[in-house]
Amino acid sequence: MSINKHAYQAIEAVVGRNYITDDPADCEGYRSGPGGYESGTGYERVMTKIAGAVVMPRTTEDVQKIVKICGRFGVPFVPYSTGFYGPRSHPHMEHELIIDMKRMRDFEIDEKHFFITVQPGVIYSQIQQECFEKGAYVVIGGGGAQTSAVANLLNDGWSPLSFRVGLPQRRILGMEVVMPDGEIVKMGSLADGDDPFWGEGIGPDLRGIMRGYTGLLGCLGICTRMAIKTLPFQPEIPKPSGISPETALQLDPKRVRWINFTMPSLESIEQAHIMIGNAEIGGAVTKVPVFWRAIAKAECKEDFWDLWLKETEESVSNFFLVRVLLIGYTSEEQMDYDYHVLCDIIEELGGKERRTKPSDESWFKNADSAGMWLMTGSYVSVDYVMDTFTQAFKQGPNYRDLKAKYTPPLMPDCKDLGWFQSCEMGHLGYYEYLIYWDQREDTNGMDQFYVESAKMNIENGCYPALLGAHQPLYLTGPAYGPGYHEWILGLKEVFDPQWICHPPLPLAHDEFVERAEWMHEVKNWETPEEFPYPEKLKENMRLEK
Amino acid sequence: MSVIDKKHPERYDTPKEPFALDIENLSNFVYDMQHCIKCKGCYWVDHTYMPGMKHSVRCPSNLWKEFDSYGAFGKMRIGLKLEKNEIEWTDHLLELIYADPLCGACDVGCKRNLDLEVGLTLEALRVKAVQDGAGPLPVHKDITSDILETGNCYGAKKDRRAWMDASVKPAEKADIMYFVGCSSSYENTGIASAVTKVMQSAGIPYMLMEDETCCGNIIFSVGLVDEARKIAEKNVEKVRKSGAKVLMTGCAECYRMWKVDYPKLLNIRTEDLGFEVKHFIEVAEEALTEGKLKLVNPVNQRITYHDACNVSRNCDPWEPYEGERGWMGTVEPRLARRRGRHGLYEQARTLLRAIPGIDLAEMPRMKENSLCCAGGRGTKQAFPELAEFAARDRLEEARYVGAETVVSACPWCRSNFSETAEKDGEKTGVLDIAELLAMAAETGEK
Ligand SMILES: Cc1cc2nc3c(=O)[nH]c(=O)nc-3n(C[C@H](O)[C@H](O)[C@H](O)COP(=O)(O)OP(=O)(O)OC[C@H]3O[C@@H](n4cnc5c(N)ncnc54)[C@H](O)[C@@H]3O)c2cc1C
Ligand code: SF4
Ligand code: SF4
Repeated sequence: MSINKHAYQAIEAVVGRNYITDDPADCEGYRSGPGGYESGTGYERVMTKIAGAVVMPRTTEDVQKIVKICGRFGVPFVPYSTGFYGPRSHPHMEHELIIDMKRMRDFEIDEKHFFITVQPGVIYSQIQQECFEKGAYVVIGGGGAQTSAVANLLNDGWSPLSFRVGLPQRRILGMEVVMPDGEIVKMGSLADGDDPFWGEGIGPDLRGIMRGYTGLLGCLGICTRMAIKTLPFQPEIPKPSGISPETALQLDPKRVRWINFTMPSLESIEQAHIMIGNAEIGGAVTKVPVFWRAIAKAECKEDFWDLWLKETEESVSNFFLVRVLLIGYTSEEQMDYDYHVLCDIIEELGGKERRTKPSDESWFKNADSAGMWLMTGSYVSVDYVMDTFTQAFKQGPNYRDLKAKYTPPLMPDCKDLGWFQSCEMGHLGYYEYLIYWDQREDTNGMDQFYVESAKMNIENGCYPALLGAHQPLYLTGPAYGPGYHEWILGLKEVFDPQWICHPPLPLAHDEFVERAEWMHEVKNWETPEEFPYPEKLKENMRLEK
Repeated sequence: MSVIDKKHPERYDTPKEPFALDIENLSNFVYDMQHCIKCKGCYWVDHTYMPGMKHSVRCPSNLWKEFDSYGAFGKMRIGLKLEKNEIEWTDHLLELIYADPLCGACDVGCKRNLDLEVGLTLEALRVKAVQDGAGPLPVHKDITSDILETGNCYGAKKDRRAWMDASVKPAEKADIMYFVGCSSSYENTGIASAVTKVMQSAGIPYMLMEDETCCGNIIFSVGLVDEARKIAEKNVEKVRKSGAKVLMTGCAECYRMWKVDYPKLLNIRTEDLGFEVKHFIEVAEEALTEGKLKLVNPVNQRITYHDACNVSRNCDPWEPYEGERGWMGTVEPRLARRRGRHGLYEQARTLLRAIPGIDLAEMPRMKENSLCCAGGRGTKQAFPELAEFAARDRLEEARYVGAETVVSACPWCRSNFSETAEKDGEKTGVLDIAELLAMAAETGEK
């Protein structure tokens, strides 16, 4: 295996022998799957390869040199921050280099101007604690406290805490990126000195290219430094309590409080989201899948199924719960005021307050997405829909009905409607649909469902977040652009003419549909006879076959 | 038939696969290895407790060498290849599998959210190394012959009871049998003296084991299960014959061996041993609560307590398990996962707080989030750089909270910390909890 010998030696000269390896056991240790996000799927089995080598740079200059060496020797590479994002953060080509960013963990906090500057090895829970200590907080992506803030913000960046600043790109300020040709681009005000406070300028603002709605999954350069907006919090530092697995963050109920409300109907939940947004109170408003409640109560799979199998379609469709977070940002009085406004809204809608624990288990510091795998062993979020609130809300029944056709192999979920929440104070709706299955089963249906859901969104005129790099680009591009695919491919051509940065993205899902026979029956969109890869990439792909 | 089968008998027909919590067959852990999700909950401190940028990691192996292959998630992936005999054993692969103190941080970390058997998988990988003729490492083989020849892991020829002076007065017969262990018998003899002094001060009779020999910790930990089983059989039989109700250790490693790994090797439940296994801190804490142990002499020090792995997250009682895995990975019969809940976290702290003059400062990584010093389970002998690295990191953390002394309940931690501190010219003191209690305890006997 390994990578080109000369490239390996040159990279070793940059980082030193302790930080590069092509040992087969080390490379195996980096394998994508067989467990994890999207793992056990056809995409993972068909598209991912064992790395040829792994390197761990320390500085931006190291990354620049590595990328230039890769360019010189035509070695494909993929940036890897924590590697949690399943197959999409792993090599898709033989002899590919993983650039593992974990040693890049510089962290600075600008308390006065409410931003932090981090490298990709820094994870969210570390950031959150540092922020708490300075009276601030960040939105930890629901994907987890253990993910790299840089990787998360380049690709995703949502959680119920997005209520205040819902568009993740607005939280990215100045950024430093090593482009696929090895040039360092400093974006926003970083281009003009060392102050990253402005994402928009003075200097280029390429955030739209680097992440767009949900990013390009590392196929257009490597971010080595990012300034991230923090939000003002309240002064009490939440205290951890308990012994694993019963650990939680204790909140001071006078300043931070989650409150659950049972509501009379789905419509009243929708209304609650809208009215709370209009009233501009709170720190989060969300309705989560009903089975998450069973996960929270269960300690093991067996517990979960004992609980969940008691539910029926009827009980699930009649369970209406909305969860609201109040934060006394400025004072106890402000929190009290917000609480009363909230109670008025809920009362008007016929809802009822329920007793809620004065703690946070899953959003503030410990976004424990790992629990997603408890039920069935395999999981993926099929889509995030970012749209007007009402449009996003409508997606629940659509997904529910489509999923029924693919159950099994998908988990029987009593037709749960999925997860939605309000972002940008109700100006934006967020909808996420999550599917679960047992990867030991025949999972072809899961692969088909994934692509069918993109087709459904197109048909319904919904704006999903998982576009190009996550779904077939030739399916989503013409529908959403209409020249979106041409635009993305044009950018790829300009910035990475060799296609060495995480190939064959952004066409990886298109490639998967071609390679996986069971996907042919769902393919009803146009693709060119040959994908527009450079000759060298085509040759390498031929050799791999 | 489960409810789901009744609802949709034609749809959900996952065949059931038999498995057991038996580390002698790596195949038992294929499901666990296949379902590791790279969330790295095994590597980071529980996020709820995350202290910030510093002291954020609890896996010493992966902190020492940062490639993913050194973390539990890497080893789980490599394990799948090993199980299928699809990867060759090399010196480097042996390093990945053995440069690891089996500290259990990954196991509790993983079980914070999931129900995978990470700790057992790592043990099974060692057994597999031995079965394949690749393990253990040469130094482990030397230690094993030393133990089999001399009865101790140092190969020392001198009398195991040389530490005993006239002040040590074991009873001929007592409910409690104090198993001293190799480290306290030969290297950390101060701990043995301190344990007996505290016992005597509290007026608790104890006996010693006749012809005590090594508990077999290193032999077991490196995967030599057959040899370890023989030791377990012999030792358990001795205690049963002695009529002791409690087997007490002053060493965390011995404690885990007796309480967890002997039952595991003998395929019995901990409660079926025929006697209770206690660490000295449990006995001392009970004596304190009952008013038998009086801590009267002030010890004016700012200390910090290092939770040794084997009196904390690694010591839940053992229960053999055989069952089947089917629908969505669920198992039958019900499996009570060992999640580290039985750690002696509070006992140690209650004792320390009761010492007059003690100022107990907690390190950011504490209790189940503690960073193992990597001094035990044959790690330091094979990878001294790893053990020094981990001890150094921990000593730095102790300094960070302003502690003058690091206290633990394990002689192996004590040795590793003091050797590293000495090598580095480090001023932080190192003591075992028994030594501290002996300083504070009322002198004289009851
Ligand atoms: C269970 C689960 C639930 C999720 N739910 C949410 C959610 O609610 N909200 C949310 O926001 N996200 C969610 N996600 C997505 C998750 O946040 C991403 O996994 C995370 O953003 C990626 O961080 P990482 O450290 O794992 O990155 P990695 O896996 O290392 O990388 C992710 C992608 O980014 C690329 N990349 C990595 N580092 C860099 C870099 N420095 N520069 C350029 N490209 C890079 C990689 O090549 C890869 O394509 C979820 C994911 C999972 C698995
Ligand atoms: S915590 Fe468990 S599932 Fe997560 S990476 Fe570690 S071993 Fe894998
Ligand atoms: S047992 Fe300890 S050192 Fe070994 S992988 Fe687990 S956490 Fe790391």
